[in-house]
Amino acid sequence: MRSLVRVAALIALWVVLITLAHGAVNLDVFKPRRAGDGAKTFKIGFLPVTCHLTCPVTHFINKSMTGEEVFDPIRFNGWPELKEAYLSGYTQATFILAPMAMRLREEGVPLKIVYLGHRDGTAMMVHKESSIYRIEDLKGKTVAVPNRYSNQRLLLFKALRERGMSIEDIKLVEMPPPDMPAALYAKAVDAITSGEPFMGQTELDGYGRILYLTKDVWPDFISCVLAVHEDAIKNDRETVQRLVDGIASSGKWIDESMDHRMQAADFVSQNYYNQDPRLLQHVLSKPPDRVKYTNLALRRKDFEEIEALGREGGILEGKAGFDDYCDTSFVPDESVVKPYPWESPK
Amino acid sequence: MSSAAPLARGKSQRRLERYVLPSLVGLLFLCVWDALVRISGSDLFPKPIEVARGIGELAEKGLLHKYIVASLFRVTWGFTLAMAVGIPLGLFMGWFKWAFQALNPMIQVLRPISPIAWIPVAILWFGVSDAAPIFLIFLASVFPIAVSAAAAVANIQPVYVRAARNFELSRFDLFRRVIVPATLPQIITGLRIALGIAWLVVVAAEMIAVSSGLGFLIIDARNAGKRYDLVVAGMVMIGLIGLGLDLLVRRMERMDVVRWGYHNQ
Repeated sequence: MRSLVRVAALIALWVVLITLAHGAVNLDVFKPRRAGDGAKTFKIGFLPVTCHLTCPVTHFINKSMTGEEVFDPIRFNGWPELKEAYLSGYTQATFILAPMAMRLREEGVPLKIVYLGHRDGTAMMVHKESSIYRIEDLKGKTVAVPNRYSNQRLLLFKALRERGMSIEDIKLVEMPPPDMPAALYAKAVDAITSGEPFMGQTELDGYGRILYLTKDVWPDFISCVLAVHEDAIKNDRETVQRLVDGIASSGKWIDESMDHRMQAADFVSQNYYNQDPRLLQHVLSKPPDRVKYTNLALRRKDFEEIEALGREGGILEGKAGFDDYCDTSFVPDESVVKPYPWESPK
Repeated sequence: MSSAAPLARGKSQRRLERYVLPSLVGLLFLCVWDALVRISGSDLFPKPIEVARGIGELAEKGLLHKYIVASLFRVTWGFTLAMAVGIPLGLFMGWFKWAFQALNPMIQVLRPISPIAWIPVAILWFGVSDAAPIFLIFLASVFPIAVSAAAAVANIQPVYVRAARNFELSRFDLFRRVIVPATLPQIITGLRIALGIAWLVVVAAEMIAVSSGLGFLIIDARNAGKRYDLVVAGMVMIGLIGLGLDLLVRRMERMDVVRWGYHNQ
């Protein structure tokens, strides 16, 4: 019995020690708090993709210009977790696939799209050795898309239809974007499509070939949007407006010069995405209009096109219209938006 | 086999079996791994040396110890809570037949559900804090612990309980002197299996947007482009720590109280 007590004591000691260690190295609980740390409760979900680049850029530039953190960017690793964290109220705003946001709205989730995150920035990749050279060649092939509610799927839908084909002509599989390069490498699928930089990665590593860039098939393509909880819109208009203005300014800043794009690639790779900076450098420059961060206002006709495609694709029911899922009152006048007056300290 | 001629074997032979043989198997495994990668010509899947370099890189950046601490923290809490709930629950179910009949079907329903399936529930209930992975690890380990504790009580030979009653032992003494020693070996075996499961679940549990831990390392490395060396580095670290944990629980099996139980069986 005594040795049992000893074991229990050892276990208790271990629990205390590992808790203290975790608090010290991972949670920084022993570091002195700065004033205002507690006020930072506005959490925004994002994924490490170029479609969400303005989120970390806004956060980083704001922090280094004013020392202030307007919001708390939370990185997720996949769509389901990002969506669930929003539904649980853990994040008050989130970068999210446009059709997914519209679908959630149809299901009564209190969210409003307040701004876009980017335009374009998606590619369809095939294996270098594959015999697919035109969209028509996809007939009978297996194509990986990120999610059934992704615009990449709708884009494919549109591209096929314009060539007199339908989604029935290909085999679609859903796959998390980070797994796509390896799947293409192993030829487990014939083609992959998702947001960057996972498509550019296959080019950099020498086994992927671009079948199309979104800008060539669906100019001004929207993959992801910024969605905000209705409570935040009601109670905290100021923060939402600051956020939208920040994204507009950082978008302009990114698109101002190639040098800014490279600066963004560097600090976002290192501080937010934890990716090799070459990846973001590649997709932000080759070609420079592969993904764009200006012209982010919400346009009715863009969304109505997505809505129509979504209904055709069976993912939307048409229960929510543009005015239900969008709130355009935060959108700044594009001609007035100024890029951040900021340069990355080298 | 080991009990057949324990005295005939020298100390050096025991050492050979204990350390040298497993090391040789490990070395052979590394060689085969290396050779297979070379033969396949894959430049995505890493060779052992690249994985070792990846682990070195993590250690240099100061991430390795952070991630290990984070994962051990979550498994410690998840598993400790599972013990705190599972052992009493199991003993209770083993002792009172009606309790077993009432609760067992529910446990058997919940037990086979993979922690991955619980991820959405964990996020909806606990958000994206440490509580969510701890909850998943708790769920994965509590049922095996409860089931093995219940079976341990049910397996006590009735003659011991009857004898104890004849000596008019108080309820507390009966528990302390008979039930605990008799059930402990089986409970510890259950704990060993459950700890293995708890550690196994750490990758799935850390798929939730936590930003530290060995499971996070694997998911993060998948996000990072061509860093499969770090994916495998995470796997290797999880494996090695799992080995350490198993050795630790095996030590518990050598405690006095536990031996007492073994002799009874």
